[in-house]
Amino acid sequence: MTPQLAFLIGLFIVVVVLLLTRKQWAPALIHAVPSIWRIAKITVAEARRRRVIQAVVILVVLILISMTFFSYLSPQEQSRMLISGGLAAITVFGILLAIFIAAFLIPQELDDRTVYAILAKPVRRFEFVVGKYIGALIILAAIVVTMTVVLIGVLLIQNQFVQDLPDSAFNPNLKGVVFAAVMNYFAIAVLTALIVLISTVASTTMTVVSAFIIWAVGSLQSTISDLAAHAEIPVTKALLTIAYIIVPKLENFDFRHEVSNFVPVSYTAAWNPLIQGVGYIVVVMILASIFFNDRQV
Amino acid sequence: MGSRRSHNLLLGFLMVGLLLMLVPVQEAIHKSRPKVFDPDRKTKRVSAISIGPTPAVIAALGGFRTVAADLLWLKAERVWHGGSWWAMLPILDAVTQLDPHFILAWQVYGWHAAYNLQAESETIVDKRYWLDRGIKTLEKAVEANPDNWEMVFELGWTLYDRAHEPWRAAEYFYRADQFPGAKSYVARLYYRCFEGVMDFDRLFPALEYAKGHHNDPTVSDDVQHQTIVNRDYDWWVQHKDDPLEHRRQIVLENTRRAERSVPFYLYPDDPYWDVCPICGLPSPKGSDVCDVCGAPLRGLSERTGRPSSESTPPDGAEP
Repeated sequence: MTPQLAFLIGLFIVVVVLLLTRKQWAPALIHAVPSIWRIAKITVAEARRRRVIQAVVILVVLILISMTFFSYLSPQEQSRMLISGGLAAITVFGILLAIFIAAFLIPQELDDRTVYAILAKPVRRFEFVVGKYIGALIILAAIVVTMTVVLIGVLLIQNQFVQDLPDSAFNPNLKGVVFAAVMNYFAIAVLTALIVLISTVASTTMTVVSAFIIWAVGSLQSTISDLAAHAEIPVTKALLTIAYIIVPKLENFDFRHEVSNFVPVSYTAAWNPLIQGVGYIVVVMILASIFFNDRQV
Repeated sequence: MGSRRSHNLLLGFLMVGLLLMLVPVQEAIHKSRPKVFDPDRKTKRVSAISIGPTPAVIAALGGFRTVAADLLWLKAERVWHGGSWWAMLPILDAVTQLDPHFILAWQVYGWHAAYNLQAESETIVDKRYWLDRGIKTLEKAVEANPDNWEMVFELGWTLYDRAHEPWRAAEYFYRADQFPGAKSYVARLYYRCFEGVMDFDRLFPALEYAKGHHNDPTVSDDVQHQTIVNRDYDWWVQHKDDPLEHRRQIVLENTRRAERSVPFYLYPDDPYWDVCPICGLPSPKGSDVCDVCGAPLRGLSERTGRPSSESTPPDGAEP
């Protein structure tokens, strides 16, 4: 099946299903929005009380500020080091926080039995799952924005220090930094959706382990594709191919390399990964809602 | 119950449809993004695993290759300041493998090989090797960064200034000047390549080219450029057929070539060359006649002895 044909068949199926079920989802969606928003707000309030998240954010801020210690390098080197190191810190800590926030969202509600109080109210299970996910997205957005603002601040301050030097080639590349951070946030959003899906059926430990595996596989899709092409055992080849097809290609959201090297980035090209990400999140959220719907609580 | 089952079935169909839509989208994006790592430093997609274990490991670093390259770059800085010049090469090689778009690393790698290590070497064979290695490094850099004028210029400059290959250098200067953002000195160096060898067939078109470019009267650098180019143009129109000027250029060019021969003068007992008793320039050991002036050299090969490494300061090691 060619990619174009697969896309057209997929589009046809989606349109048909949406048209057939419009009487079910249209009113339900209108009812669901306030409930989802309330659950999201509660999720954010709970996360704000967690000291661990605040501690990690402060740690990242300190790491970013300490990167100004590279001042013994030339301005050109400094800008590269700050951008690549800063974006790497945002990626690593953003993903880690996403894993540890999302993995506890639903299992903790089940363990603490607080889910009964919520589901006893006129809240449907899919609203609960989506509300939790949106709450996690708001927290992660705040974290990524905080870290990005600190990185931009560090770049601007460093730029002030070195701009008077002769032949200063310090390039803060602020537009690129913001772009890479936004794309990084979308990668985090896709990964968080997958973590929420796993957490509806698995324990917390299992969810965390799976999340790390998905992160690794999603970030190394080129290597997975290579491995699949070179695998000699049919089962291995099949598993790797499935992993390549199913796991989201987080590499597509990674623009850190281009931004660090000041390679021109086509901002319009970002739409493709964004469409991919949103589509993936929708699929995963539907699955998570079905799984949580069928779960005995 | 039946309604719920049909509901789930419809949702299942919806997901299959969305997934079918997503697969080609993901695949198209994935293939459209150039693979950053390549052992040949090209941006085309290749299978890292099929090439060897090291490329496969580097590919497995994923998006953190840039950070790994940065850490090794810091290591290279320490090694440089520690004076271990030879130890820098494997580090710079690793840095450029990890991040083929790290322009500064390429520039330092090529320059270090073609200038410092070439100067530090004691024999003609070694000197030739390091110069070639520097040039090959920069050629790889240009291949990996075909859109970067600085990289193309760097290769042209090394060919012009170090390898004394003006015609080849001119090609790169011309290429570098085609990029937006290229400085005006690139266009001037383009015609300077033909000045030294008095290739008038190419010099005048190159001068015309330089006059026709970088001519924005509102940019001070361009105004300065035009002044220099017009001065040079007038000079060559006036002295094109002047034998005295020709002789002056020949002397200048020979002086440039002789600069390469400074170690030969400093260490005349080196067993790898013979110094001509007539013109004083070196020729490879065992030559029958001088490569430069044609004077007979037979008999000079019997000399032996080498200079000690302690007494061999690098010539122009730090330009």
